[in-house]
This record gives sequence, C-alpha cells and structure tokens, in this order.
Amino acid sequence: MSTYIACDGPVINFDNVTKVYANQSRPALENVNIEVAKGEFVFLVGPSGSGKSTFLRLVLKEERPSDGKIHVAGRDLARLTNWKVPYLRRRIGCVFQDFRLLPNKNVYQNVAFALEVIGKHRRFIRKVVPEVIDLVGLEGKHDRMPDELSGGEQQRVAMARAFVNRPMILLADEPTGNIDPATSIGIMKVLDRINRTGTTVVMATHDAAIVDSMRKRVIELEYGKVVRDQSRGVYGQAY
Amino acid sequence: MRSQFVLQEIWIGLRRNLTMTMALIVVVAISLSLLGTGLLFVKQVDRTRTYWQGKVELSIYLCIKTSPQPTCQSGGPATEAEKSQLQSQLKAMPQVETVYYVSQQRAYSEFKQYFSNEPAMVQDTREGDIPDSFQVKLKNPESDYSIVASAVTGRPGVETVVDEMTILDKFYKLLDGARNAVLIIALILIVAAVLLVANTIRLSAFNRRRETAIMRLVGASNFYIQLPFLLEGAIAGLIGWAIAAGLLVAVKSLMLDSLEQYFSFNVGLSVGDLIEVILFSMVVGVVLCGATSFLTLRRYLRI
Repeated sequence: MSTYIACDGPVINFDNVTKVYANQSRPALENVNIEVAKGEFVFLVGPSGSGKSTFLRLVLKEERPSDGKIHVAGRDLARLTNWKVPYLRRRIGCVFQDFRLLPNKNVYQNVAFALEVIGKHRRFIRKVVPEVIDLVGLEGKHDRMPDELSGGEQQRVAMARAFVNRPMILLADEPTGNIDPATSIGIMKVLDRINRTGTTVVMATHDAAIVDSMRKRVIELEYGKVVRDQSRGVYGQAY
Repeated sequence: MRSQFVLQEIWIGLRRNLTMTMALIVVVAISLSLLGTGLLFVKQVDRTRTYWQGKVELSIYLCIKTSPQPTCQSGGPATEAEKSQLQSQLKAMPQVETVYYVSQQRAYSEFKQYFSNEPAMVQDTREGDIPDSFQVKLKNPESDYSIVASAVTGRPGVETVVDEMTILDKFYKLLDGARNAVLIIALILIVAAVLLVANTIRLSAFNRRRETAIMRLVGASNFYIQLPFLLEGAIAGLIGWAIAAGLLVAVKSLMLDSLEQYFSFNVGLSVGDLIEVILFSMVVGVVLCGATSFLTLRRYLRI
C-alpha cells in the first residue's frame, strides 16, 4: 500500500471537526482544528470526558465525525471505503492503559500475532519480532506469559506489538495509567525511542509529571474544544 | 494468507468450544440423516409407484368351479364364449390400453413362485383353485377405473373386478406417512441445528473477543477476522454431514434393501440415488451452516 507511505503533508489533520454521539446533546468534540506533522510527539491532555478518546477513535475511523474533515496519512477518511479501513489501521499502532495482551500467548506470540493476522510471511515475522522485543527492552523474555510479567513489562509487550509493523502513527491512550511513576519513565523512554525512528506519536494522558518532563507539544482539550496548543509545553497552564 | 496460522486458530476455537461443537455435530448429523432418509423414502415410494403404474391396473377374475359369488353359482365357470366376448368387449373400450389373458395354469405357477417360502400353502392349493383372469391396463388409471369396472362387473363369467391400486393404497399410505413423519422431524431438527450454529458462533465470538479486538486494531482484513468463525461452523457442519452420510448408507443397505426382500420385483434404489441424496444433504448442510454463521457474525462481530 504505497499510497499510505508517501505523504508530505500532516499525518493527522482535523479540519473543523465536530463529533456528537447519538443520545447526547453536548458534542464530544466541537470545531476542532488539529494538525500533527510527520515525526511529531504530541501530548493530548485534559480531564476525563474532554474528548481525548474520541479524538483517537476518530483517527482510527472507529467513529465518524458529525461534521468536518479528517485526513490521516494523506487519506480523507470520509472517502475511505469500509474494506480499506483495515489498511489504514495497519499504518497506525495502538497502545492502551489496559495493555490488551492475549493471556494465552507468550510475549513472542503476542507480538507475532499482529503480523500473522495481516498475512505476513513467517520468515519475515521470525526476523522482525525479536528485533522489536529487543527495542522495547524485553530481550530474553520471549517465552514469558503475560501474567508472569509486571505491568511495565506488559505495556512494553503492547508497545512492541503496536510498533512491529512499523506504523506511521502510534496512538497511546493513557499508556502509563496503570503503571507506577518509576516504571513510567521506562515506558516513556521506549515511546521516545519509537518517535526517533520517525513514527508520529500521539499520547493521551493525565500524567502531569511525564508531560512536564518531556517538554513536547501539548494539546489541551476541555469540553470537546482545543483550549491550548503549545509546542514544548507542560501539563498545567504555564505562563 | 497464512493457512497454518488460520488452521491453528480454528483448532483453538473448536477445542475451546468443544461441548458446543460436539452438540452441533450431533444435531447436524441427525437432522441431515433424517432429511436424507426422508428423501430416500420419497424416491422409494415414487419408484414403487411408477413400477406399479406401468403394470396392471385392473384385474378381472373369472368364475371357476369353486367361486362363491352368486353370479358364478348360477352361471357356472366362465365358458370360452364368455371369455372371448369379454375380451373383445374390453378391447373395444377406448379407455383400455391393453388386455391380456392369464390362464389358470399360469396363475398357479405365479402363485407357486410368490409363495415359494411357504410350501404348506402351495401344497394345499391345486391348479384350478386360482381363477384365470384378464389383466387390463388402462390409459388413465385414476379416471377410467370406475367406467371400465362398472362395464364388466356382473357380466356372465366375471367373478370380481379388482383395482390393483386400491390394494397398494394402504401400503402407499403407510409409506407416505412414514416419509412425512421423517421429513417433519428432519425439519424441526434443522431448525434446531440452525439455532445451534448461531449459538455456537455467538459463543465463539465471545470467547475470541480479545483476539478479534486486536485483529481489528492491527488492521486484519474483515475476511481474515471472519474466516476462523466461518470455517469453524463449516468444519463442524462437514463432520456432521460425514456422519450423516454414513448413517444414510446404513439406512439404505439395512432398511430399504431388506424391505425390498419382501417384494419379488426390483424397485430398489441405486447407488446413484444414494449419492444424489447424500450430496443434496451436504448442500443443505453447507448452505445452512454457512448462511447462519455469516448472519450471526454480522450481528455479533462488529468489524
């Protein structure tokens, strides 16, 4: 799918996007304009219900906007047919607060699963998976089952799985939400490493300490509106 | 497409759902074999019916010395003149296709052949006890029977007029009843099978919800996500069908073929008929399982 690889403009572009869920009067997102360039590292902050998750779901085309235009990886999502959505998602990696590992598969199998289900060859999988497991710092733990790993290690497996297909964008929804601050630093180092390979990272978080320490672009949402978009920002208002 | 991976996932799915899968296989096997048995019955009844319809439809038995009927008592045994008159009368009727005469000698030898396993009965019966008859084949058995029968009943030398079809009617009613019962039970079981397929797939979708969610997330195609479920249903259906095929072969060779021993004519079903029925039940099984899985997946597996 070379059409997704070549892309000079922003990798994510929200043009006046509004999202109103059925049975809800208040929009989850309202007239949001966000542009994320290739290779950027963006924090998405704001209280619960401010629209962070909706933003991520819209990028994945799990939801459709009520109004406005969304471009991801150079593609107009409104014009992307349903059967092409999987190919869009192959360009996007995802990490969640609850890891979402398969409990009956070991570390290697969990990471390999992401490639197996998109039909990659076994030779390719055997070569790539160990590299990525090393990248996230889990060398030598291929055979561990998820319940034998700490929370931080499980999140590393999830990151390996999200990154193994070399996505253009990595979406992280509160990746440190279930992890203690000391371990979170390790997680952030891995995300930073992934970002340095040229992958755009968008991370929704509540963790002020992490946002403050990274000094990356911060987009703050409140009641579905962008109230702050600041490069090299911090979690709280900083003047 | 990684066939080994897909097969492995199907195997895991089937094993996790073992009790449900086994129930599904059993119900599919029973419903398909009942359906097949019903179809074999239909074929058998049709075959027997056409056999008989191609044969004699009307027997006109003639008076002999021992006939108890009053017409025979007063007129005595049918004379040659009466016989030839009757024969020419029958031949002249437009409803009659063919008429042929069965002599007492021939009737007796046929009688001996039919009851060859009951020698006592044959010994007690002598040539001359069995009346001679005209065997009449009608052009249109259902509508013409009463016309021809009333024309010859009571004529001198005529003992009784027998419609062969009325004798067979009871037999047919029995066969038809058995066939209908089998088909109705088969239909009920097919409904049960459809519900079980739907339930199995639903359970399977629930069991595999984590895998499915991750597959969606990493961009597996819809086909790849649905394939294990569809194949799970199809494999269970195919195993059920294979068992049903075995049962149908048994039904044919044990039931229908042994039933046939009681008849001295060859109306047995061929191997071709059996294969036809087995293939038809496979199509029914595959279509049912496939369509049900597909519809259930659309309902329970959001892509």
